[in-house]
Amino acid sequence: MANTQTKAGWPSWLILGLGFLFLYLPIFVLMFYSFNESRLVTVWAGFSTKWYGELFRDDQMMGAVWMSLKIAFLSATMAVALGTMASVALVRFGRFRGKTVFTAMMTAPLVMPEVITGLSLLLLFVTLAQMIGWPAERGMLTIWIAHTTFNMAYVAVVVSARLRELDKSLEEAAMDLGANRLAVFFKVTLPIVAPALFSGWLLAFTLSLDDLVIASFVSGPGSTTLPMVVFSSVRLGVSPKINALATILVLSVAAVSLLGWWLMRRKELQRQKEMRAAYAS
Amino acid sequence: MKTLTKLALAASVSLASTMTLAADKTLNVYNWSDYIAEDTLPTFEKETGVKVTYDVFDSNDVLEAKLLSGKTGYDVVVPSSTFLARQIKAGVFQKLDMSKLPNHKNLDPAMMAKLAELDPGNAYAVPYLWGTTGIGINVAKVKERLGEDFPVDTWDIVFKPELAAKLADCGITVLDAYDEVVPTVLNYIGEDPKSQDQKVLKKKVAPVLDAIRPYVRYFHSSQYINDLANGDVCVSIGWSGDILQAVDRAAEADNGVEVAYIIPKEGAGLWFDMLAIPKDAGSVDEAHKFLNYLMDPKVMAGVSNYVWYPNAVPASKPMIDEEITSDPAIYPTPEVEAKLFTFPVYEPKFDRAGTRMWTALKAGK
Repeated sequence: MANTQTKAGWPSWLILGLGFLFLYLPIFVLMFYSFNESRLVTVWAGFSTKWYGELFRDDQMMGAVWMSLKIAFLSATMAVALGTMASVALVRFGRFRGKTVFTAMMTAPLVMPEVITGLSLLLLFVTLAQMIGWPAERGMLTIWIAHTTFNMAYVAVVVSARLRELDKSLEEAAMDLGANRLAVFFKVTLPIVAPALFSGWLLAFTLSLDDLVIASFVSGPGSTTLPMVVFSSVRLGVSPKINALATILVLSVAAVSLLGWWLMRRKELQRQKEMRAAYAS
Repeated sequence: MKTLTKLALAASVSLASTMTLAADKTLNVYNWSDYIAEDTLPTFEKETGVKVTYDVFDSNDVLEAKLLSGKTGYDVVVPSSTFLARQIKAGVFQKLDMSKLPNHKNLDPAMMAKLAELDPGNAYAVPYLWGTTGIGINVAKVKERLGEDFPVDTWDIVFKPELAAKLADCGITVLDAYDEVVPTVLNYIGEDPKSQDQKVLKKKVAPVLDAIRPYVRYFHSSQYINDLANGDVCVSIGWSGDILQAVDRAAEADNGVEVAYIIPKEGAGLWFDMLAIPKDAGSVDEAHKFLNYLMDPKVMAGVSNYVWYPNAVPASKPMIDEEITSDPAIYPTPEVEAKLFTFPVYEPKFDRAGTRMWTALKAGK
């Protein structure tokens, strides 16, 4: 392995370093200032953890964090389920009438301006409420639906890419051995595309957590999400509580992805071991 | 299997009944984040037994989009005054039932008279907190350029080209909101700030703005907060709340920058955040109770003490911290207060002409 790679010279290391610095320095600065004593975000006035305490005492903000996490979790899960089904249909079912239209429509939400998505969903919910009385009240449910619609498109793109790469002979072999379509899907296809599902889920989760425009259009009483609180607090000045919160979020996201990577790697090693054992016997 | 269905049915029935129980006596409020004192809502809940849900919005535009499409689910909303005027015309609010608002008499009559221009007869809304559109300055730098004793409490420092030229190198910024800047200029040149005459706009307002255009660093409605506090710009037309934030930030940063907010002696624009009840509100009674509560002097004193914005209940003034009431940048002196004016709501025709003028102004450096 090692001798096939050319050794990287210092210019490439420099560029790599600068690239990482550009990406991560702002986040580190933000984390650093979360331990700032001063109310001012940009002036250092000594170490303190008081903003963490303030953050946990702020019911409005904690409620919004909890709401955002719930919506992100639910919509990411829903989007993975629906997005996977859609990409299986589009990639695996051969050519069928209207396939191009469906593929285009699937990716439309990716390029649609958020304001338009948000406004049209709001109008849809209002009209529905007038016509059939559902949803009687907008809130967490409507945000969940809205986020699922655009997240699904992202998941579908990620999963179809993986599905297209997948070696069809594996599935054919399983069918030769007597597995029906359903069994093939769950025992062969799904485990192979699992990493794509995982990254699709993470992407959807992040996008949902991040979304302000669509959520603020379709939200209702008792469903304020975190971005809404952050942007609304601009009116009276952003407090360093936001830094504290961001630090906690960044660290937990890092922990989750690290855990995911470790689990995946362990599984991969296990698989290699099994394969070696199978070849040896 | 059958017992399972029965169980599920029983569970859903009991769930539904608890939901209806919880549904009576709630109130949904839609306001800005942190725009209320910490104890305002808990005290209201304790006094009335009404459970309050407090949600926040991040721009008047989002609030308007929701109000216009209907069925917001909110019982009390807090739009700014010019937005409110448009929304009243669109018919999204219900008339207030004055018999349920005994505290309405506490409101400042002079303010109510000004508000009647936007809300005829004060029938639809009551003022919550208010502010002005004035000038934020970097005290030291302005003095350095205009002289130690120069009276800065005037729009001259922005709108007089000779003075603006002297200040240009340290940075003049203007709000990117023509519907507030145009009335301000009209008031400055002695015209009616509510004029919607396109000729006046072209012949009288545009020349004033064109003359100072070369000295304006940028048109923006929020960037000046940080730039003033850091000493990067020295004169900004902006909103009182934002500039007072810059004052605080500069003071806390201890970076040698002193920012001050000025309501010029020629008068300044006045804006309100208003409390109104949407037409399709579910808890109309509770909403009235809440509005009445927010006109109580003691309650509003608490809110002003927390938010540092003035309110429209004069009787609350003695209970507000001296530091706030004695600051002419927050509570203007009576002479200045008499000269404050509300911003008009523009007719579509004038709106188009104004937008065009504004775009041309911003583009032509």
